[in-house]
Amino acid sequence: MSGPIIRVEDLRKKYGSSEAVRGISFQVHPGDFFGLLGPNGAGKTTIIGTLTGWIAPTGGRIEILGMDLSSRSKEAKKKMGLVPQGFAFYPTLTARENLGFFGKLYGLKGRHLEERVTYVLGIVSLEDRADQAAGTFSNGMKRRLNIAIGLLHEPALLILDEPTDGVDLQSRNKILETIKRLNLDGVTILYTTHYIEEAEDLCNRVAILDLGKIIALDTPRGLTQSFGKGIIQIELNAAMDESLLRQMETIGSVLWMDEKKRRVHLETDQTASALSQLLEWKEKRKAIFKSLDMMEPSLKTVLIRLIGRSLRD
Amino acid sequence: MGSNQGELLHQVLAIVIKELKILMRDWQALALLFAMPAFFILVMSFALEGVFESGSRDRPIEIMVVNRDGGGVSQGVISDLKRMEGVTLIEFADGAPLSLEKAENAVGKGQVALALVIQEGFSDKILLPPKDTRQKAKIAFIHDPTTNIRLLAGVKGTIQGIVHRRALIAAIPQRLKRALRTEGIQSSYPVGSWSQILDENIDGLLAQATGEDGGQASVEFLNLSPGGAAAGRFPTATEQSIPGYTIFGVFFIVLTLASSFIQEKKDGAFQRIMAAPLTKPAFMVGKLLPYYLVNLFQIALMFAVGVIFFHIQLGNLSALVVVSLALALAANGLGLLVAALGKTEAQVGGWSVLLAIILAALGGMMVPSYIMPGAMKTLSLFTPHAWALAGYHDVMMRGLGLREVLLETGVLLGFAGVFFIVAFWRFRFH
Repeated sequence: MSGPIIRVEDLRKKYGSSEAVRGISFQVHPGDFFGLLGPNGAGKTTIIGTLTGWIAPTGGRIEILGMDLSSRSKEAKKKMGLVPQGFAFYPTLTARENLGFFGKLYGLKGRHLEERVTYVLGIVSLEDRADQAAGTFSNGMKRRLNIAIGLLHEPALLILDEPTDGVDLQSRNKILETIKRLNLDGVTILYTTHYIEEAEDLCNRVAILDLGKIIALDTPRGLTQSFGKGIIQIELNAAMDESLLRQMETIGSVLWMDEKKRRVHLETDQTASALSQLLEWKEKRKAIFKSLDMMEPSLKTVLIRLIGRSLRD
Repeated sequence: MGSNQGELLHQVLAIVIKELKILMRDWQALALLFAMPAFFILVMSFALEGVFESGSRDRPIEIMVVNRDGGGVSQGVISDLKRMEGVTLIEFADGAPLSLEKAENAVGKGQVALALVIQEGFSDKILLPPKDTRQKAKIAFIHDPTTNIRLLAGVKGTIQGIVHRRALIAAIPQRLKRALRTEGIQSSYPVGSWSQILDENIDGLLAQATGEDGGQASVEFLNLSPGGAAAGRFPTATEQSIPGYTIFGVFFIVLTLASSFIQEKKDGAFQRIMAAPLTKPAFMVGKLLPYYLVNLFQIALMFAVGVIFFHIQLGNLSALVVVSLALALAANGLGLLVAALGKTEAQVGGWSVLLAIILAALGGMMVPSYIMPGAMKTLSLFTPHAWALAGYHDVMMRGLGLREVLLETGVLLGFAGVFFIVAFWRFRFH
């Protein structure tokens, strides 16, 4: 297939008077590992809802593998796998029963269904827990079962909404390895996450969303080159006074300051010299400086610059 | 107060405030908590008013009387009944004495619970010797087979007592004459000797006059159904109560069904189902069918228990099945409607229980609708319960068939249709 896997044009979604998605357009190409990054309320889950057909858009057009989602929804849905943010399965059913049920919704049956169930259980390393009620699983196992259900019908496109949210490091690594392998095997991935380092590590293209709009779209490297400057996070024991503020503006620009004027993000091209200057001031005014944290240009600094804060703030 | 206690109090207060906020935000669930007992008290009080007040001066029981005798004893019985507190006798219709046909019609339609028919020759036959069983004076009670046996028993007992008393008063002079003859006492004895004669013979004379039939006049009481209903057999108390309990139980599916939708949305599985290549009607049919089957199984089980343990008679099976299919559909429709309108588990739980109890009370499951006040009787027609009960009564107690339950079935299907249409319109798939 030469065309895009996903083509979104001027997508809009309104809930009453509030506009959750404000006319966004993007394309995801075959083999992409496409990241949607943005703070809570940016519109990520609404976009995923409209792409997977459980939220009706207010306007715009969505094509999945060249099929218009509004007119050929059933065919398009067969090509997509969804891994929702919540544990989207029945806790009283076993993992195998859950997989069997969702497989049948996608038209799988008989021996083929059994083979696929066994195969995806293997992919997410849940073979030995297959006949245990899903509700008894740990969070990590539940996340893996969530992924297994999304993979069951061999989708060309896998949409994952925060698939590592709330799991321990070991389970998280296991999940990320699985998703990477799937992408290498040719599955196109659309991925949302709060973990910027995940997006930086996994995604070949990233769209940054804020308030229902895409504010930047590029490769992580491209974004860092375009928007990424070094950022120094400064925490003070007392409110910033005017003289200190003027001093700081001589070494960089103040990107953000909290209401109490005790936390400041200072952006600079020359992080090393700015930091040594700050350390010098800190030595002189020990009482006011609490901590200094330097961030080299990265996707995280891009987000801080574009959105004004880190995703986890 | 120590700092630890202060902190604890602070935490407790924070939790209390948080819980109150959550409750206040789900205002519908909160309102239901207050509305449910209020509705329950209101409906049950109105509905039960008939039970506790029927037969009182304010809410007299209406009894139709067809007097086919016209003799003095029957007139005496009627005047005694008229003096009974809490009973209103209806003797005339359109200015003419009530006919048997009109009385049967009124009982059959549930306009009155009971009609009393004093048969021809009642007054004359009372005076005959009780040994002549072919000539017994007869009174018939006509009541619908669905009328509650326990409620009728008290009314019938009182009427029987009045009839016996009046019959005995009428029969005693004749009996006394017969007793005097038996004792060989001649009416031609001198007047002055009567005092001594009675002193010597009073016990024997009274024993003969009142003891011919155990102190009771010989009146035979018959129980009849109104015309059109199966004659000769009156349902047992179990047969009367099983349809009501069954319908009451069937509508508890509303809670199970509506909760399952809410739970599915909460689990997130609903989102995954909506993302699957599945049409909404297909999803709904798949979702509702198991609950429909559960309802049918529930109905079958209830009637099976009745047949096996209480030997109840089901009547025309095909008619019973048709009413049951429509009833289960209406119950499922209501379940889907509650699922569509309820946003939280608390709302769904509240609405389901409220509807299950209120509709059951209104529909005559707890109190027979014929003893409800007029407005409640009219309201009961707006419940699927009342129509289902009427359908089951027609089949099981009146011995009617498929054709006769088409109206009830149609109305139940109408309820189901309205419930499903509104539910689909209001259901939030997203």
